[in-house]
Amino acid sequence: MSTLRASARWVRADLRARRGQALLTVLAVAGIVTALITAATLLEDGTNPWRGLFTESRGAHVWIHTRDAPQVAALARLRGVARVAGPYRAAPVMLTRDGRRTPVTLRGMEARPPDVAVPLVRAGRWLRQGDGDGVVIERSFAEALGLRVGSSFTVTALNGALHPLTVVGLADTADQGFYPETTPGLAWTLTSTLVRIEPAPGRSEMVTGLRLTDGEDTLPVVHSAVTLLGGQIQRMSTWREVRASMELDNRLLGLLLALFGGVGMVAAALAIANAAGGRVLGQVRDLATLKSLGYTRGQIFCLLMAEHGALGMIGIAAGVVCGQLASSFALRGVPILPLSPVPLMAITAGTAVVVLVAVALPAWRGGRTAPIPAAPAAPLRGHLSHLARLALLVRLPAALVLGTRDAFTRRVPAFLSIFGVALPMMMIVVGLGCWATLDDFLRHPERVGQAAALTVRSDRLPAEDVARVSRADPGVAAVYPGSEVSALEPEQTRSVLVRAIGTSTDPYPFSVAEGRMFAARGEAVAGQGLLDLMGVRIGDRVRMTVGGTPLIVHIVGRVIEPEQDGEVLSLGLDSLAAKDAVPPQFHSLVLKDGADPATVRARLLAASGEALEVRRVVNPADRLSVIRGIIVALIAVLSLLGLANLLTASALGLRDHALDLAVLKALGLTPRQVTLILVTGTGLPAALGVLGGALAGAPLAAGLIELQGRTSGIGAGIGRAPSALTLTLAVLAAIGAALLVALIPARNAARARVPVTAR
Amino acid sequence: MSEPPVVRTVNLVKIYQNGGVPVPAVRGVDLVVEPGQFVAITGPSGSGKSTLVHMLGGLDPRTSGEIWLDGKRADTMSESAWALLRRRKIGFVFQFFNLVANMTVADNVELPALLAGASARDARERREHLLGALGLTGRADASPAQLAGGEQQRVALARALSNKPSLLLADEPTGNLDSRNTRDVLRLLGEVHRDGQTIVLVTHDARVASMADRVVTLLDGEIVDDGALGTARRRPRGTAGDVVELRG
Ligand SMILES: Nc1ncnc2c1ncn2[C@@H]1O[C@H](COP(=O)(O)OP(=O)(O)OP(=O)(O)O)[C@@H](O)[C@H]1O
Ligand SMILES: [Mg+2]
Repeated sequence: MSTLRASARWVRADLRARRGQALLTVLAVAGIVTALITAATLLEDGTNPWRGLFTESRGAHVWIHTRDAPQVAALARLRGVARVAGPYRAAPVMLTRDGRRTPVTLRGMEARPPDVAVPLVRAGRWLRQGDGDGVVIERSFAEALGLRVGSSFTVTALNGALHPLTVVGLADTADQGFYPETTPGLAWTLTSTLVRIEPAPGRSEMVTGLRLTDGEDTLPVVHSAVTLLGGQIQRMSTWREVRASMELDNRLLGLLLALFGGVGMVAAALAIANAAGGRVLGQVRDLATLKSLGYTRGQIFCLLMAEHGALGMIGIAAGVVCGQLASSFALRGVPILPLSPVPLMAITAGTAVVVLVAVALPAWRGGRTAPIPAAPAAPLRGHLSHLARLALLVRLPAALVLGTRDAFTRRVPAFLSIFGVALPMMMIVVGLGCWATLDDFLRHPERVGQAAALTVRSDRLPAEDVARVSRADPGVAAVYPGSEVSALEPEQTRSVLVRAIGTSTDPYPFSVAEGRMFAARGEAVAGQGLLDLMGVRIGDRVRMTVGGTPLIVHIVGRVIEPEQDGEVLSLGLDSLAAKDAVPPQFHSLVLKDGADPATVRARLLAASGEALEVRRVVNPADRLSVIRGIIVALIAVLSLLGLANLLTASALGLRDHALDLAVLKALGLTPRQVTLILVTGTGLPAALGVLGGALAGAPLAAGLIELQGRTSGIGAGIGRAPSALTLTLAVLAAIGAALLVALIPARNAARARVPVTAR
Repeated sequence: MSEPPVVRTVNLVKIYQNGGVPVPAVRGVDLVVEPGQFVAITGPSGSGKSTLVHMLGGLDPRTSGEIWLDGKRADTMSESAWALLRRRKIGFVFQFFNLVANMTVADNVELPALLAGASARDARERREHLLGALGLTGRADASPAQLAGGEQQRVALARALSNKPSLLLADEPTGNLDSRNTRDVLRLLGEVHRDGQTIVLVTHDARVASMADRVVTLLDGEIVDDGALGTARRRPRGTAGDVVELRG
């Protein structure tokens, strides 16, 4: 207890003496935590917009489609149901615009928006009384069709009558998934308008939404609703289906986030370790005094841990608050939900652990200080004065020689400047590597296993016609027929996806990372996830049950596989049994360079008379633009860190130099020469650090991404190091900044009168 | 004597390694300091005075030999046991003051009292008393860097006394002081000595040494002279200030 009071005094005095530095530490940690939380929130939101939409619209967990209006009062009384939305009348109509016909569901609503399952108007306005031909369109559907507020189109009811409608608003909803993953599209009109368009109640249905008190109770509620309504129910959907349909395969995003997390944590560790380390180094004398007064080794350790750890913790707390604020103001003015608890906890706890570990090392060092305060270190060593004499002989260049010599005579400052700069530089290069990898995803989707930009299938046309129509399009480079079946490995109860595209003589252009492409029947390539799952290697033969037919598969290569955790086996259609292969379920279209997938899709739809179902393959990097902002922010934070580290190092160096300076000036060096010596002394190790960091970072960036890729099942082969040009520019900028940072304190020191006392 | 000696060393040796070359600083010192005794250690520069008192305070490990404090073997203790001992029983004044640079004078002086378990109030009273006695009342809120060398030395002495140590080890506490400040320091030392404080003090200054009960002279790490000053020359009734005034 007695040490507590004494320690509190000491910590208070220490913090007061270096308010600025303490604040910087807090800010650095806060900045890093903010960046991480913002990144995670945006990614969470980007990869699953459902959560935000559902919360914002107070969505309904269960939707029940019935022929006639159900007993609303009875539904509302069901255990677990909080509110009922609707029932709304809904009718299928055909939307015609520019000669293209698209099915759409019209839902009748009132001018006053409902309390639950509210369509979230993002453009224009909601329906008004007297909007006889006004319509609000679901946003993704509107975007797919190119509809804007003010656009008009006609709808054809089942009876063939035409009705003109004008778009008054675009809205988001959590009632159903996005178009075109979920069809038909959704649009809202006034109920009176709907009755005018589709007067026959028999050709429309009633939809009723149930908002539950707890989404986890969905299954029991569904059961009791089925018991209550029985045969009236035509169809039901739950929030889980909607969520699944909105969810983007976020493996790659998660991978990049984890990488950022790593970078961020290292940066936090650096910030703290350097601040604490520099401080402890500068305090050796005081710590020794504390020991002579009766502090034990352990107590000094605890004291330093408490002081520097507390700074870190304050930074983390501030970062959590700022992170929540930043992410809620971040995107397109659309409010974003705060991060869900698990990643938030992971970031907070992770940074806390990192901070404590980073503080522990200098604290331990501080604890080991000998209780006799070291006598003021002998400031000059023999060779320095030799060199000083030399400096007088050769004039200016000697200042360089002196600085160079000086840079490495004191090991600790040299170490601090080299590593304090090299580590952030390395991390910056890793960040640039992420950027390059992202670019690569976007520019060369074929390298991440997404050669085809479109897949087409059809219920109405035979497979040959699908292939023929596709091939006829000028933007299509190649068409590969494909089928997907599930397969069981004998000992495994889990089934894996088998994807057959192309044939063994004309295989789909998979991105083969190891081994070779399949070239004969029975040969296959696999994702890393599958190899890990089954514990097999390239070259092994595996007995599997593919679509019910036993098959011995020879795995001849590994491909980059971004889907299904990499647990996918890919082979030629001719390896499948005829019943699975003929006819092929879909065709994958590889487009010519520069062909726009949206244009090709529109052409294909038109050419087939809407008989084709054409889907765009979602590039995981498409929604990743957010990450670029984060990379920039992270690089900024890291640069600041590097500069702060450099300042610490040069301050330490200057402190040790006070006496040397006096001697050098007495020897007759001008202030400019002294500046030069000091800048060389700090700048040279810094430049070495920058170079070393960049050299280490380039392979590390690719290596880390590869490691991530391997563990996540995608498989190694996606990582890209930043280009040579980017690297060179980064290195030059960093060295320039380092020299500038070294110059300012050096100039001041060279001008200042030097004290000639022991302390 | 029923009470064990406060300090007893047996063949105490300290050999520094200076780049592989052994530098013997203390070479077999046998020293006994009885409770309440005021021992001055003198000797030329480099004779091992600082090294000896550092070892007595556990600040520097001994190379061989024994150290007994209050009848207990101390040289074999762990580093943290030494720390606890210093906290309770030892006050130390360094040759180069070693005040904690970030803390005010007041905090510097209160720190050992707080460490020894005093309440904040007791620590404050003790500090006010000590600074008052050393003529530093007005500087309580100053930072050490604002003080002159002599003032720093007096603060260091106040700090060493703030935990009411049973043994005061002082390495040249008057080395940087003018005669007037020296007088203040000696008066305080005399005061605490009269209250029964055991003092081991390193000094070059013959006047300071003459205040002690006993003067031990070191040369090249060995005791060459251990002269108890005659009781006739001790002035238990008189104050230290008188002594200085008589001689200064
Ligand atoms: N850390 C050390 N490493 C090596 N040698 C040391 C060390 N400290 C002291 N010495 C040597 O030990 C010897 C005794 O030093 P010490 O400081 O005890 O002398 P001193 O009597 O206190 O001198 P002064 O009166 O100048 O303070 C000296 O020769 C000194 O060079
Ligand atoms: Mg000495």
